Amino acid sequence: MNSQLLAQSAVQAPHIEYGQLAPMLIVFGLAIAGVLVEAFVPRRARSAVHAPLTLVGLAAAFVATVLQAGTHHVAAEGAVGVDGPTLFIQGTIIALAFVSSLLIAERRPDTSAFVSDAASVPGTQEERESLVAGDVQTEVYPLTMFAVGGMLLFPAANDLLTMFVALEVLSLPLYVLCGLARRRRLLSQEAAVKYFLLGAFSSAFFLYGIAMVYGFAGSIRLSEIALAVSHSGGNETLLLLGLALLGMGLLFKLGAVPFHSWKPDVYQGAPTPITALMGSCTVVAAFGALLRVLYVGFGGMQWDWRPFMWGIAILTMVIGAIVAITQADVKRMLAYSSIAHAGFVLTGVIASSSQGLSSTLFYLVAYGFTTVGAFAIVTLVRDAAGEANHLSRWAGLGRRSPLVAGIFAFFLLAFAGIPLTSGFTGKFAVFAAAVAGGATPLVIVGVLSSAVAAFFYVRVIVVMFFSDPNPDGPTVAAPSLLTGAAVAVGVAVTLVLGVLPQPALDLAANAAAGLFVR
Amino acid sequence: MNLYVPIAVLALIAFGFAMFSLVASTLAGPKRFNRAKSEAYECGIEPTPQPVGGGRFPVKYYLTAMLFIVFDIEIIFLYPWAVTFDALGIFGLVEMVLFIVAVLVAYLYVWRRGGLEWE
Amino acid sequence: MTPADVVFLFLGAVTLGSAVLVVTTRQLVHAALWLVVTFGALAASYLLLTAEFVAWVQVLIYVGAVVVLLLFGIMLTRAPIGRSEGLDSANRPVAIAVAAATAALLVTVVVAGFREAYVELGDPPAGTSGQMGASIFRTWVLPFEVLSLLLLAALIGAIVLSRREIQPPGESSDERPTERPTGPGRG
Repeated sequence: MNSQLLAQSAVQAPHIEYGQLAPMLIVFGLAIAGVLVEAFVPRRARSAVHAPLTLVGLAAAFVATVLQAGTHHVAAEGAVGVDGPTLFIQGTIIALAFVSSLLIAERRPDTSAFVSDAASVPGTQEERESLVAGDVQTEVYPLTMFAVGGMLLFPAANDLLTMFVALEVLSLPLYVLCGLARRRRLLSQEAAVKYFLLGAFSSAFFLYGIAMVYGFAGSIRLSEIALAVSHSGGNETLLLLGLALLGMGLLFKLGAVPFHSWKPDVYQGAPTPITALMGSCTVVAAFGALLRVLYVGFGGMQWDWRPFMWGIAILTMVIGAIVAITQADVKRMLAYSSIAHAGFVLTGVIASSSQGLSSTLFYLVAYGFTTVGAFAIVTLVRDAAGEANHLSRWAGLGRRSPLVAGIFAFFLLAFAGIPLTSGFTGKFAVFAAAVAGGATPLVIVGVLSSAVAAFFYVRVIVVMFFSDPNPDGPTVAAPSLLTGAAVAVGVAVTLVLGVLPQPALDLAANAAAGLFVR
Repeated sequence: MNLYVPIAVLALIAFGFAMFSLVASTLAGPKRFNRAKSEAYECGIEPTPQPVGGGRFPVKYYLTAMLFIVFDIEIIFLYPWAVTFDALGIFGLVEMVLFIVAVLVAYLYVWRRGGLEWE
Repeated sequence: MTPADVVFLFLGAVTLGSAVLVVTTRQLVHAALWLVVTFGALAASYLLLTAEFVAWVQVLIYVGAVVVLLLFGIMLTRAPIGRSEGLDSANRPVAIAVAAATAALLVTVVVAGFREAYVELGDPPAGTSGQMGASIFRTWVLPFEVLSLLLLAALIGAIVLSRREIQPPGESSDERPTERPTGPGRG
């Protein structure tokens, strides 16, 4: 051993491009600062420190992302690719995390979504004491920042090892956060356990896939995998199995059928601000990683993966749209809607062209903001037991509070893809890209499932506006500045991207023009 | 690789000795059992029956286990670091300090939260 | 066959045999102990393949921590010391079928992928701790540092879920947690 060491020459210091990593470093720094706040600031003052810290920090991270525009470089010794699509995705994630953080920061004792004391057993004296004391578990902030940091690294990872570490960093805090709902805690804890177990399985699949791909390519760098794929002749069994396992891990995070079964339970059980975070940021990050893996690493074998992705996209759109019809809970319905939308985005991914990439990016922005806005509305409709999520409770909401019901109807129409909303522009863009990429049958299925999906969105609107209000129905809490701002951002983005989509489409096209760095 | 040959030999000897002791005592020892002999020998207090279905157990054991495994994983990275320390130069020290500081933050948090007190 | 091949085959047989015993024994504690043998034999296999660092990770983390935690868990929960009959369920045939199919698939793939493969181990081999250190602290420095954040997040999560907040010393001295064992003090 000693002789080996003496023979070993000095190791060069790694070259780290701090500027290009700045968005991630800022968010991870926020997370660590948040933990220190938890450790040293008195309990009562913590929320007041966390909320501005988080919002200012995320704004700084967004600026840092924008400043990197035009970079096309592999940073940090090859671990991270900084390029147009990645920066676009990172910017989207940070912006969506900012809006979700507005919901998380909602701290009026009666409307906070988070548990008073996560370690107390539901229904015990301890729990009641902490509720009366008005406590809130403020670790939510650093945990959210850890998750967001992982989400920023996930689509940027240029090798599968970094991608796996990022996957774990984004998943682990989310597992915990899912279990921290203030009301209906058993449901929330059940959601957390389900998400954790299934997520651990999918991570294991992902890891096994890495091992197989490494066995084939002799490297876990995406660029070198691409090289090995393009030069391969002969036995590809390892490669195919590896890609299938990697795909399972990634498709699980997006909730594509048949890896979707966790989504309704988790979306329903998790605190609604966290559902908003998962429904927007996690989906964006997972699509970013999927795009990078498929376009950079396995672009040379798209004739192998495209048929499978076709199947998954069709299943995802159809099952998401059909099963959503039977849902009686708003959050479950939005979960199935999110599954269906994952299918629509997959049609853009399958196009595997610059046009497909840019339309996917646009769709993710449009869908993300509408989702956050919709979940913000869900936090507002409340009764004595907390949020009133059952659809029957929403009957007649349009007569009691026309504004809130009207905004929710607007979001639903955007989900359905009605013209003059961002949903229409997004669907049009991905379907156009898919047709250009020769996937016309896929688009036909997509349009048909959009029609099915429109049915259940409109049904909710009918329930809200054309049925009689329940006498002891839920009330609409007057939105605070924070929730109100989240709703306003959701409405504004949904409207602007529907009426004046061209600047955003151009931005996405610019970002996608250079494709991913290799 | 040859470094491990002495270890393998030692392991074999240890295994052989344990096997020899077990077999020899089985063959040579007298077998007269009584109540005291069939009890656990010098193994702390007598086990008490658990409630049916397990019952709850204090969660602080879980916390101790988590602390143990997290710091265990941290320690394992000190091993290749220590082996390559001479070749790494100052940046190796900085990297390891950063790594340890992050876990140290966790330690500070646990300490302030009372996670290290047994009560 | 070289001596290394013979040792490798022997270790493989030990791993497989003890792994089968883990799932077939009717005593939970024995299952955990057989798991030690499985992990130990795996570690020895890694060592034989010159993956020195991975071997010691296997010993320190899996044998040293994971199995100990398993035993901890057995002790603290049901603790059926001795034979317990409830360990099998009606899913046994399905589980056997799935396990056999998975094993068949993996063996086929690995054999198909590496039948003719010959790997030059290099000198010193890439798996030694020294070589691993050089690549961890240079090429893989970013995932390595992010890993520390993962550990941090895991610990925060564990505390959040398991530890009720007690007032740290100095913030409120009039109410000590010992006075109210069920409801630790809060200001």
